[in-house]
Amino acid sequence: MLEHREEITAYALLAPALLISFAIIAYPVISAVDLSLQELRLTQVGRARRVWTPANYARLFADPEFWRAGWTTLRLVAVVVSGSLAVGLGTALVVNDRFVGRKAARIAVALPWAIPAVMAAVIWWWMFDSSFGVINWFLVKLGVVAAPVAWFNRPGTAFAAIAAIMIWKGYPFMSVMLLAGLQAIPTELYEASKADGAGRIAQFRYVTLPALRPVMGIALILIILWVFREFPIIWLITGGGPIGATRTLAVATYETGFKFLRIGEAASLGVITLVISFALSALLIRRVESDAR
Amino acid sequence: MTRRTAGGRLLRGLAVLVMCAALIFPVYWMFVTSVSPANDLRTFPPRFLPTNPDWSSYARLLERPLWRWMGNSFTVAAASASVSTVVSVLAGYGLSRFRVRGTRMAGTFILTSRMLPSTLLVIPLFTLFTQASLVGTRWSLVIAHVTFIIPFATWMLKGYFDSIPQELDHAAIVDGCSRMGAIVRVLVPVAKPGIAATVLYGFILSWDDFVFARTFVSGNQLSWTVSLGVSSLRGEYITGWNEVMAAALVGSAPIVIMYVFLERFLVAGLSAGAVKS
Repeated sequence: MLEHREEITAYALLAPALLISFAIIAYPVISAVDLSLQELRLTQVGRARRVWTPANYARLFADPEFWRAGWTTLRLVAVVVSGSLAVGLGTALVVNDRFVGRKAARIAVALPWAIPAVMAAVIWWWMFDSSFGVINWFLVKLGVVAAPVAWFNRPGTAFAAIAAIMIWKGYPFMSVMLLAGLQAIPTELYEASKADGAGRIAQFRYVTLPALRPVMGIALILIILWVFREFPIIWLITGGGPIGATRTLAVATYETGFKFLRIGEAASLGVITLVISFALSALLIRRVESDAR
Repeated sequence: MTRRTAGGRLLRGLAVLVMCAALIFPVYWMFVTSVSPANDLRTFPPRFLPTNPDWSSYARLLERPLWRWMGNSFTVAAASASVSTVVSVLAGYGLSRFRVRGTRMAGTFILTSRMLPSTLLVIPLFTLFTQASLVGTRWSLVIAHVTFIIPFATWMLKGYFDSIPQELDHAAIVDGCSRMGAIVRVLVPVAKPGIAATVLYGFILSWDDFVFARTFVSGNQLSWTVSLGVSSLRGEYITGWNEVMAAALVGSAPIVIMYVFLERFLVAGLSAGAVKS
């Protein structure tokens, strides 16, 4: 147990940090909830308060566009998370083994992480260009498509392209976390399983995967939250279109507030997004914690 | 771990090479495009090797306020990374060492704040900054960036402090240090790699921001960050892709360089707390 004096030090140390955290984190959340209950336009910000009304939420729940944005977000989460997991795990396993040039390979594999989102967006925008984009050239050359594709003009291809870009931006984090997890696995475990006659696949199944589960769980949560939050890539390239195919909740929130200027409604959209991502990660955290035990 | 034959090793080497090439191709393509003359960008097949590099895109960038944007990004990122790190060292230490009432809640609270989408955070901050007449200033960006960096930084540092044995603090206190003295004189030097990683990560997060910059300072070109600047280039359809790629390359360079040299630090910091060793 802590002594009384210690307890005071604890609070004294935590107080400034918590106060600042509170001021800059709790304040916006409380304020967002407050705004979400008012029918307010962006141009009226700072003038007299409006009465509280659940009108924004009621309107959202009745709006099919809102449900569509939620569905789009979940689909994007599913695709981007599984893509990042696949590429991240593959690359982590490859650079975990010893070989010449491993350090360079490790840096190269996680390089996309270091490319700022806006820069990644413009690079891929150009690569997906409908007339002279290098991706179309590859696909035509390989015979996958007959003629260049106008990626961002059709809902299906736009969604696929955005998902591909986000996987490219998202997998390095997964790879880096899994690599750290792989390196924390004691070699004795592999030796013991080998002595028991386990082949490479059995080793992966019974030694590597179980050992990776906790770190994989945390990485998954963080990537899911990132997909929920992600904004610049979608906003710059498609703006949420065509016909709403890439309009996630984050994009819908920003569009409603700063394009349609309905700041109260935007706040309610944001609050709902927060609640969904909170519930989702609470569920996952519980699973990760029970795994760790 | 497993021994391989020479042929197997060659095969795996090739596989690794192809994989790396595919994954970093976009970065390479950004460079190749930036040194291609405009005519080369409208040919099929595309030119994959810059046999005759043309640096005029970079020269044309000098006519734009790119250097001003870079300077703004530097100032904002440095300020927000250092402020958040100072706060986070204290908070992270407290969360790691004390199990008093409230620390558990504070931990949950900090984790929760990592879920805040910036598109939500930007709304109340916008109303606040409008009332405080901060819209258009770089200050607005520093304050906004600090709000989303602190949770990440605190989490990273808590994980890092968890890996430093408590006996170290106790020894310092027995030797007559106050708790604060123990942090400053003993813990901080030991935690240097973790703190360095945190500063770096904060810097990168700030540099990466688009939504706050677009919302708060897009009306004032003097305060633009490089992300906002580069995004605006593509809005003007007169700008060729070679120029956009040149600007994107300049705007990514500081982060890529930091990453290449300090990868070890960053990886250790990011996975601290998630991996038990």
